Amino acid sequence: MQEFTIDAGGQPPREVNRTLKEKASKYKKIVIENPNAAHYLVAGLTEPIDVEIAGSAGYFAATMIHGARVHIQGNAGWFPADNMTEGEVIIEGSAGDGVGQGIYDGTVVVKKNVGSRTGMIMKNGTIIVGGNSGFMNGMFMMGGRIIVLGDIAKDAGESMMGGTIYVGGEIESLGKNAKVKELEAQELDELRELLTSYGFQLEEAQYQKFRKIVPWSKEPFYGKETEEG
Amino acid sequence: MCGIAGVVYKDKKLHPVGDALTKMLDALQHRGSDSAGFALYGGLGLDENEYLLNIVVKEKPGLLEKVKETVNQASPIKTEEIIPSVENYKIFRCRVTLNSFSELKTMITAIDAVEDVVVLSGAHSFEMIKDVGLVKDIAQRYDTYSKMGTHGIGHIRFSTESIVDRYHAHPFQSYIIPDITVVHNGQITNYWKIRDPLERKGHVFETTNDTECIVHYIADKLSQDYPLEEALEQSVKDMDGPFSYIVGTPHGVGIAKDQLGLRPGVMAENDEVFAIASEEVSLREVVDTREIDQISPGEVRAYTI
Repeated sequence: MQEFTIDAGGQPPREVNRTLKEKASKYKKIVIENPNAAHYLVAGLTEPIDVEIAGSAGYFAATMIHGARVHIQGNAGWFPADNMTEGEVIIEGSAGDGVGQGIYDGTVVVKKNVGSRTGMIMKNGTIIVGGNSGFMNGMFMMGGRIIVLGDIAKDAGESMMGGTIYVGGEIESLGKNAKVKELEAQELDELRELLTSYGFQLEEAQYQKFRKIVPWSKEPFYGKETEEG
Repeated sequence: MCGIAGVVYKDKKLHPVGDALTKMLDALQHRGSDSAGFALYGGLGLDENEYLLNIVVKEKPGLLEKVKETVNQASPIKTEEIIPSVENYKIFRCRVTLNSFSELKTMITAIDAVEDVVVLSGAHSFEMIKDVGLVKDIAQRYDTYSKMGTHGIGHIRFSTESIVDRYHAHPFQSYIIPDITVVHNGQITNYWKIRDPLERKGHVFETTNDTECIVHYIADKLSQDYPLEEALEQSVKDMDGPFSYIVGTPHGVGIAKDQLGLRPGVMAENDEVFAIASEEVSLREVVDTREIDQISPGEVRAYTI
């Protein structure tokens, strides 16, 4: 048994997810047809299978997944991949606020633009934004990396504690406790390899434009307000 | 939560806007089930200085006659219609001619003074439909499916502070200038700071609902010849709290979102239609596209025809 198709048309997300979890141990790939931007699709899936959402998803798509590879052919609403611990979520279109909020690991790829607070409080993992990012990207992030190929709106890296935000376009403004640094050669190599693996074709000149946003201090609130190297 | 939606047909011709907004709102039903409402513009076809009154009347012996008498004292009723509602209420609709728009609010105040009666709207270029319950039931009750128009806005409500009844269902209307309506998702936390200067200017507040505050604020700005987009931009600077709201005017619709982006708003358009809503699932009812724009924090969008 290789592939199973669920027609989500007219079904509440709870039913779709129940069927998905029932079939997840028996099939390698599950396709959800007619998703119609419904909320909570693929929430809490812990089987390491492929899931294709053949359209747009609503809020909290693939929230709390562990190990699944979820491919959303359309857009996603607020908080896709929220609290993911392992796996991969690829969104072909755009996404709303809070992409990859609080992820512990795994990779989230949004091919077009994202809303605000991308990667808020993320602990680890990778978020790639093919277009532009809204404001407060990386708010309170503690680890991991966010890569924005386009422009990043104001207050980027607001109160970030750790991790790195790579930006290929313009940075409108930085949030508190964020500073801009140049990339190391090794980081550029990692970006080239990673972005190419997800089908992003960038000219070398575009790579050379990348800068990174990192925390100004690792203890901005309780420790001494000293800049980290 | 609440769900908001707005749609404009770019060719300025009549389209089944009631059907479109009913579907858009039904797709947002999960965001609240207290009440729902519509402001459907462009399809009423009233003569100059004609107005359509929408009046909630409790089922009580003699009350409807008293309402008619009050209306007739101001201006003779030209046509009338009764739409049964639920919970012992009905909607009395009538058409009147006034000498000028300035007489409308005076007339509405006189009708509102009758006990167990409240005027939902007094409109020249839009049809207000709002009631308690689910949007599909309301759509059936008022036959929104057959309503034609050029544009419209709609709302499904998850109430927070104020009570659930027909009057507090959205849209809210202001009478500072004709035919301005607002639907709203969120809260205005500096409500009194916005309301005070408007009251000092003489604008009358009927409720303590923050949506009423928004509609008066916008109508006040439009009365000072602000273009819709600039009025919306100024509101984002002046108002605090989490909100996204949609304004309907005789010429189009616009959306504003708070500076922290705490309430949702998405937009899509093609050559025929401009649409805004709380969620993509609603847009998909009227625009067949995967290109969805997220309205950014503090951003406004407007489309006028």
